[in-house]
Amino acid sequence: MLYRWEGIVIRTTDYGEGHKILTLYTKQAGKQGVIVRGAKKVKSRHTAIAQLFTHGDFAVFKGQSLASLNHGEIIEAHRGLREDLHKAAHASYLAEMMDRLMPDGEPDERMFEQLNAGLTAMEEGKDPAIVNHIMEMKLLALSGYLPQLDECVSCGRTEGPFAFSGAQGGILCKACRFRDPQAKQLPEAVLRLLRVFQRTDLRRLGHVEVKPETKAWLKAVMRDFMDRHLDIRWKARGFLDQLEKYDL
Amino acid sequence: MYYPEPLAKLIDSFSKLPGIGPKTAGRLAFQILRMKEDEVVDFAKALVNVKRNLHYCSVCCNITDVDPCRICQDKTRDASCICVVQEAKDLVAIERTKEFNGYYHVLHGAISPMEGIGPDEIYIAELLKRLSDERVQELILATNPNIEGEATAMYLSRLVKPFGLKVTRIAHGLPVGGDLEYADEVTLTKALEGRRELS
Repeated sequence: MLYRWEGIVIRTTDYGEGHKILTLYTKQAGKQGVIVRGAKKVKSRHTAIAQLFTHGDFAVFKGQSLASLNHGEIIEAHRGLREDLHKAAHASYLAEMMDRLMPDGEPDERMFEQLNAGLTAMEEGKDPAIVNHIMEMKLLALSGYLPQLDECVSCGRTEGPFAFSGAQGGILCKACRFRDPQAKQLPEAVLRLLRVFQRTDLRRLGHVEVKPETKAWLKAVMRDFMDRHLDIRWKARGFLDQLEKYDL
Repeated sequence: MYYPEPLAKLIDSFSKLPGIGPKTAGRLAFQILRMKEDEVVDFAKALVNVKRNLHYCSVCCNITDVDPCRICQDKTRDASCICVVQEAKDLVAIERTKEFNGYYHVLHGAISPMEGIGPDEIYIAELLKRLSDERVQELILATNPNIEGEATAMYLSRLVKPFGLKVTRIAHGLPVGGDLEYADEVTLTKALEGRRELS
């Protein structure tokens, strides 16, 4: 059967001599694998569309096995993401999250729009770390692990101060803090931002400026939470850490 | 087990190679069986020698049987220019052009944000050691024009900035003999950006 999917390349894997297998996140069919024959050859028509982060129209033939690309048209190449080391690293993390957390073959138009908006926002120069935190919240919500940030997870109290507990799955008030001795006291600004992230639509993301210490907090809290509940070793995150280590 | 053990072992060995499934492995194994004994011995020797006698050049990290490699030993080459490539195969591709007369450096991979392959995993430290040689004036970054190659080129250009070298990137654009009509917009944009004046 011939299908026409609008999708974004979230992963590429070399296959055989000159072929590539793309993982697309499509609007119509969710996450799909597509083989692109000869994609690595200089004269192939599909070289450019088979690049990571490319948003395109993919005409594929799909039988019982892996779909095969017949024809592709680029809608947005997201070139800017590939030509900046930091943007490339953050966008890779975003793509890896989509690849590893979204199920195969289940369409979710809203997530497709969020992915596209996230990549566009990074390309436009919006803080890529913030974009990724917003996406982390969305994917945590889909996986059923959204942290409870509106009230104390233990007693339901809504007045702070609060500490963040990855183990308890959200914030703990002063009285309930004994439930997790490792819970971290959250600065008010960080908690406010985390709440905003849970409700932000990436298509409407404006310019966000966050202090470096707040960013460090956000990173620590989100990492702790993701690692505790998802238990995935993120390859792209390792790369981001190396970039930070060498201060590039 | 349908095959005698030595044959089954050979089939198993062939199927460890990339792109070779059990059917092809079987076909290759039967071909070996049909070959003359001295041919098979030569074949086996070639396999062992490739593993035993080849290593990385201590200067450019190219695969070689002598150290330094033949290219690094060649004093007629231009020492002011080093061309950085991802794989030894890329070096051969550039050598085939007969247009480049400098030295090379083989990274044996590329930085890959997606795979988490960082600068520590490829041969960058060896390159930096070579750059302290005063004769080196230019570094040509001939990594692949994909996300990994671009990331490597960007990383290297930032890293070597303190050396004050001229850092160039190979051109991107249309393949010779290609038709403009069939070129995609990304390649065409790159071709337009890299246009040059005709003399």
